[in-house]
Amino acid sequence: MADILGSFEQAVLLAIVRLDEGAYGRAILKEVEVRLEREVAAGAVQATLERLERKGLVRSRLGSGTPIRDGRARRFYTVLAEGLRALNDARKTHESVWRGFPRPLKGRG
Amino acid sequence: MPNPPEAAELILRALLPADARECVSGDLLEEYRESRVPSAGELRADLWYWRQVGGIWLRAYWWLVAPVVLVLALFDTFNYVSSPLGASFGMPTGLPFAVQPPLVAVGLVAFATAYGSWRTGRWQGGFVAALGVSVILWSFAVVWSNATFYPLALRAQSDPQWIAAWHWSTQHGHAARNVTFLDWLYWDNVGSLIIAGILLLVTSFVCGGVGAILGELMSHRRRRA
Repeated sequence: MADILGSFEQAVLLAIVRLDEGAYGRAILKEVEVRLEREVAAGAVQATLERLERKGLVRSRLGSGTPIRDGRARRFYTVLAEGLRALNDARKTHESVWRGFPRPLKGRG
Repeated sequence: MPNPPEAAELILRALLPADARECVSGDLLEEYRESRVPSAGELRADLWYWRQVGGIWLRAYWWLVAPVVLVLALFDTFNYVSSPLGASFGMPTGLPFAVQPPLVAVGLVAFATAYGSWRTGRWQGGFVAALGVSVILWSFAVVWSNATFYPLALRAQSDPQWIAAWHWSTQHGHAARNVTFLDWLYWDNVGSLIIAGILLLVTSFVCGGVGAILGELMSHRRRRA
C-alpha cells in the first residue's frame, strides 16, 4: 500500500476529482474551504498541489487566463491513476480504523 | 476593478518561482476581486492579501529561520547561565568564534539570499528572502530581549562591571545623571536593538546583493543544464 495521504492532501485531491475540468488553483481553494468548513491559506493549497505533483499523483497544465485576473494563466490539475489509488487506499484505511464504532461516538459516562 | 496592495503584489511575484508566478498571483487576484473585496471591503481584503503573501513566504523559508531562532535562544540561555556578565546576545564563552550569534545571523541572511535567488531564478527573490529573514530575526531579538530583561537585570544589578558602566554613562553625559540602573539598562537594550535592526537591514542588502547574484548565476546554470 502506498504512503497514506494526509487529510489535507485528501481534501485537495478530492476537490480536483469533484471539479473535474474546472480544477484550477482558485477553484480548488474554494472547494477545499467549502468541504473543510473553514478558511484555508492559498499557500497551503499551493504547497500541497506542488507536493502531490512531485509525488506523481496529479498532473498540471497551463490554461487560459480571464479578464478578472488580468489575463494571467490558470494552472489546471488532473488526478492521475496513482492519485486515485492513493485516495482509495486512504479511504480503505479510514473505514478500517473506524469499523465497529457507532456514529456518533459516545463515551461510557 | 479593485487592485491588491502594490507592494504586496511585488513581493509575491518576487517570492514565487517562475512556473508559479503568473498562476498563483492570478489566483490570489481573482479571489481578491471576486470574493474578498465584495464581501469584506477593500481594507480587509488588503489585509487578507498581505496574510496570504506572508503565509507563502513562511512556507518557503520557515525551515531556514526556525532552527536558527532556536539556536540563538539556546545561545543566549547558555550565555546567561555560564557568563559572569549575563549579557544578552553577548559573545558566549567557550564556543568557537564561527558560531557566535551575530555571525550566525549574518550567515543565515546570506544563505537565505542565495537560496531565494536560486529557487525563484531572480535576484529579487533573494532580496525578499533576506529581508524577511532579517525582519524575523530582529522581531525575535525584540521579543526575547523584553522577555528576558528581568532575569538579566537581576543578574546585572549585582555585577560590578555593569554598575561601573552605568556610573560611567551618567558621569560622561551618555545618560541622565539621576537615571536609575534599571531604566539605564532598559534603554541601553533598546539602543542595542535599534542598532541591531539597522545592521540586519544593511546586512540583508549587502549579503543580499552578493548572494542574489550568486543564486541567479546558479539558477541560470541549472536551467541551461
